[in-house]
Amino acid sequence: MENLNLSDDLDLENALQDENDEDEQLTPAEVIELMEEAWLNEKFAPEILPHKFDVVECLLGQITYMEDNIQNLESKDFRKTIHQLEVDRLRFLVCSYLRTRIEKIEAYCNHIMKQESERISKGEDQYLTESEFQFLKDFIQSLDSHFEKVTSFTVVTEDWKSQPVVPNVHSFVFLKSKQEVEGVIIDDGRNDENDLVDLDKGSQLIISYNSVANLIKKGDVHLI
Amino acid sequence: MFGEKACDLIKELSRAEDNLPAYNTDLVTEVGNEIKVLIEKNQEDAQISEDSRASDGLSYISTVKIRHAAVKRNFRCLLAYHYNRLKCIRTMRWEFGSILPADIKVNMSATESEWFTKYSRLMTQYMRSVGEEGVNLWVDLKPPKALYIEVRCLVDYGKFELNDGSVIFLKKHSRHYLPRSECEELIRQGVFYHIN
Repeated sequence: MENLNLSDDLDLENALQDENDEDEQLTPAEVIELMEEAWLNEKFAPEILPHKFDVVECLLGQITYMEDNIQNLESKDFRKTIHQLEVDRLRFLVCSYLRTRIEKIEAYCNHIMKQESERISKGEDQYLTESEFQFLKDFIQSLDSHFEKVTSFTVVTEDWKSQPVVPNVHSFVFLKSKQEVEGVIIDDGRNDENDLVDLDKGSQLIISYNSVANLIKKGDVHLI
Repeated sequence: MFGEKACDLIKELSRAEDNLPAYNTDLVTEVGNEIKVLIEKNQEDAQISEDSRASDGLSYISTVKIRHAAVKRNFRCLLAYHYNRLKCIRTMRWEFGSILPADIKVNMSATESEWFTKYSRLMTQYMRSVGEEGVNLWVDLKPPKALYIEVRCLVDYGKFELNDGSVIFLKKHSRHYLPRSECEELIRQGVFYHIN
C-alpha cells in the first residue's frame, strides 16, 4: 500500500465536521442519527409525519461531499470500498425515507390533501414540503382524469373522493421514550375511564398510535 | 340481479392477486350499461311518482331507492376495479422500471398506459426537485449489505460497460462479481440472477 498516508486529505469525518460547524453546529454523526430517527418514525407511523427536509438536505450534501472525496482516491485503495459502502448505506437511508413518504402520499392522497388544506387555512406549518405537495396535487389530478375517462359513459353519480382511504391511526406502535412524559392517555376508543401511563426516560412500550401521535411529532418519543 | 357483473369484475381482479389480469373491456362496458339502464328507469319512475302524487298517490319511491343503491354499488365497484389496477401498475413501475415487459403491457388499457407515463413523469419531476441535484428513488430499493454481489447471467446480454469504463462480456450462465449499484437494474430486468 503505497498511499496509506493519504489519510490527510481523506479525513472525511473531520472535514465534514468543520464544514457543518459553520452553519448547523451538528456533527455528521448527529445528522445521521436524526435521519435514522426520522426514517424509523416515518416507517412505523401509520400517517404521514411533519417533514424533516432540513435533515435530508444536510445529509444529501454530505453524501455528495463524501463521494467527491472518494472519487479522488485511487481505485486500488481498500478504504475506497469501505467508504463507498458507507455512502451507499446513507443514500439508502435517505431514499427509503423519501419513498415511504411518497407511498403514504399516494395511498392517502385525498385524506392528506384535506388535512394539508386545513393546515394552510389555519396558517399552521405544513407536513409536506413544497415539492411533495406539488406531487400530491399532480397525483390526485392524474387519478381524477383517469377515473373521469373510465366513467365518462354517464354523469358521475358518485364522487370517488367521498370515501377516501384513511390511515389507521389506532394501529399499535412500538416506541421508546427519549425523556420523561407524564400522563399519556391510553385511548381505548371508549370515552369512559381512560387509563393514564407515565413514561420514564428510555422506557419502551406498545401503544396505540393516536395516543402518542403528538409526542412523536414533538420528538419526545420515537418509534422503534 | 343488480350488481352481479360488477361483483364478477372485482372477483376477477382479486383472484389475480399480484398479477395484472387483462383489462376486461366487455365487462366494464356491461356494468356501465347496467348503470345507465338503472338511471333511466329511475328517472321514468320518479317522473311517474311525481305526476301521480296529486291524483292517486301512486309512488315508486321504494323501487327507485333500491335501484339507486344498485347504481351506487356498481359505481363503487367500477372505481375499485380501476383504482386497484392502477395500484398494481404502480407497483410494477417500481419493480420493472420505465419499460414494462410486453406481456404486462398487453393487459393494460390505453388510459392505463397513459396514466403509467404520467406517473413516471410525476415521479421524475419530484425526484429532480429534492436536494440540489435531485435523488434517484428508483434504485437502492433494498438496504445495501455488501458493495459487491455475485450474480449469474440468465441470458446472452452482450457487452456491458461499468461506471469505471471497463467493459465486460455477459454470456448466458456466466458468473460475475459486480458492484451492486450497477447490477440492480439488470436484476430487475431479469438479465441477472442474484446468488445469495
